[in-house]
Amino acid sequence: MPTRQSHHRLAAVLTAVPLALVLAACGGTADAGTDAEGAETAAAATTVTIEDNHGSVEVPVDPERVVALDNHVFETLSAWDVPLVAAPKGIMGDGLWPGYTEDDAVLDVGTHREPNLESIVAAEPDLVIGGYRFSDSYDDIVAQNPDAVVIELHPRDGEEQSAELVRQVEALGQIFDREDEAARVVADYEQAIADATEAYDGESTVVGLITSGGEISYSAPVTGRSIGTLFPTLGLRPAIEQAAEDTSHGDDISVEAIAAANPDWIIVLDRDGAGVGEGEYRPAAELIGGSEALAGVTAVAQDQVIYLDPDFYLTEDIQAYTALYEQVAQAFTDAA
Amino acid sequence: MTLATDAASAAPGTRPGRRSVAPLLVAALVTLALVVASLFVGVYDLRADGGAAMFLITRVPRTLALVLAGSAMAVSGLVLQQLTQNRFVEPTTSGTSEWAALGLLLSVILLPGAGIATRMVLASLSAFAGTMVFLAVLRRVQVRSTLVVPVVGIMLGAVVSSLTTLIAISTNYLQLLGTWFMGSFTSVVRGQYEVLWVVAAVCVAIFVLADRLTVAGLGRDVATGLGLRYDRLILVGTALVAVASGVTTVVVGFLPFLGLVVPNVVSLLRGDDLRSNLPWVCLGGVALVTACDIAGRTVRMPFEVPVAMILGLVGAAAFVALVLRVRRRG
Repeated sequence: MPTRQSHHRLAAVLTAVPLALVLAACGGTADAGTDAEGAETAAAATTVTIEDNHGSVEVPVDPERVVALDNHVFETLSAWDVPLVAAPKGIMGDGLWPGYTEDDAVLDVGTHREPNLESIVAAEPDLVIGGYRFSDSYDDIVAQNPDAVVIELHPRDGEEQSAELVRQVEALGQIFDREDEAARVVADYEQAIADATEAYDGESTVVGLITSGGEISYSAPVTGRSIGTLFPTLGLRPAIEQAAEDTSHGDDISVEAIAAANPDWIIVLDRDGAGVGEGEYRPAAELIGGSEALAGVTAVAQDQVIYLDPDFYLTEDIQAYTALYEQVAQAFTDAA
Repeated sequence: MTLATDAASAAPGTRPGRRSVAPLLVAALVTLALVVASLFVGVYDLRADGGAAMFLITRVPRTLALVLAGSAMAVSGLVLQQLTQNRFVEPTTSGTSEWAALGLLLSVILLPGAGIATRMVLASLSAFAGTMVFLAVLRRVQVRSTLVVPVVGIMLGAVVSSLTTLIAISTNYLQLLGTWFMGSFTSVVRGQYEVLWVVAAVCVAIFVLADRLTVAGLGRDVATGLGLRYDRLILVGTALVAVASGVTTVVVGFLPFLGLVVPNVVSLLRGDDLRSNLPWVCLGGVALVTACDIAGRTVRMPFEVPVAMILGLVGAAAFVALVLRVRRRG
């Protein structure tokens, strides 16, 4: 695999350099933040200091004009009836958060591939919750919106995903003065994890898969997006012991390799399920359940395939994980 | 034109058609060995329970797909090179594959319920239209040096693929484009590849037309002087290439360099007689794509590396080596 490896190495170098710069810059801003805090204690009543992905930031409590770009936060904000002034409607699916996507007063930031950053400026925000797919636009957003506080709360690379989700919703609770609600969301999440861990027999092997465009790919334990985090969190035994490289879209794997691993359970993210690619869409249930080569695999033969909520690919928030862990707990319990 | 002249002088005065069949036999055996190896390379242990079924479900279809797609794309490259009288043209440098991709995307968006046969027809029609556009533009280009021709093709291909990308972005298909068009045999299983047999018919048709295509390779005036219905042959040749590219794009995706490297290597070694080169090009295409796929299957077991990635690497290296070798000799 020389091409992809060198490609990744190059990518690592290319990202490391700006990252170092950002980190250095962060050190600077963090210090500045503490100085400012000392000087303006009077303002503390209306602001709260949170730790975002770049360091300490002072955020106005319950800000009026909010722009949110990170898919992880829409569910929480929507549940708390927080109005938005702009959002990336192109990546929010249909009907998930109609209060945001179908309201013309909410300006459209487009998609992360073709962001319309001007709409953020036009929305005159007090707070921009950026990050995740929009991480690349962070510097531009900061530069273009000098009057707004810009934060990033999405799970950081290299940190434990589970703790990161909790950190995110707790920060939102502080900002929007909903700490009790945030605590409830976290409690539900932890309960679902406890139930799923309890229901798992500790022995069964599991394979995580992603389907898209009629192809099946492998979602690696730990690093693999969404499904991967289930492995460390629940202590699942992977049926294929091999580090994968494409952590967000999965690695190319043949059905016979899955058959050879013969997992007891298969957990599948159907990436096209969320309304993208209606025409060519081949559902995961058909690709996996209907595969001749996989018919003999324990997971398929005993109906032990867990299909993620098709919207998971768009949400990926703590609530979606809670639902997923509840689903897993239920499936494990039913099979026992 | 160093490549062309060198290749022509490589076999001065010989009549390649009458050569001994022994070398061809050796090449056939080597290819056969690769094909057999392909049947026995994979993650699943064939001796294990269900091994025989797995053999029929995944190994045989995959190997047949390699043979069909490999020979079709290599031969398509050869035909395009004759039609354009240029050694650097093949479906991915003439825009043909990009047009096929556009046709496929449009068929998916406009006819969501359509079956794979309809998709193939639309992809092939689009590839045909695109290749005709390429040939029409070429006729109007005054400077037809070796490099200008593929540059024109690559430019047209780039225009078309940016249109495809634009449509994909606005319809939320962008994420899928990469999956669809990345040449990979990973998902080829029984029930998924059968339409590829169409390209076998294309190969046969090209064998039948071989002599006429060779004459067409001498240029319009010579060919017409020799009594060839040149324009009709161009249409038929383009249609065959379009079908081969359309079908291969729908089933496996792009196979870069295959149609470029194989015919050129064969020409360098054997001269320019299309009829006697055809079996060599077929075998070469099969051997190269099979070897690359076997490599893709083994380097990262149990995962796979798409064959297009390996082909790109091997193809580019082979091509540079070829060009350098020609220059050293010249």
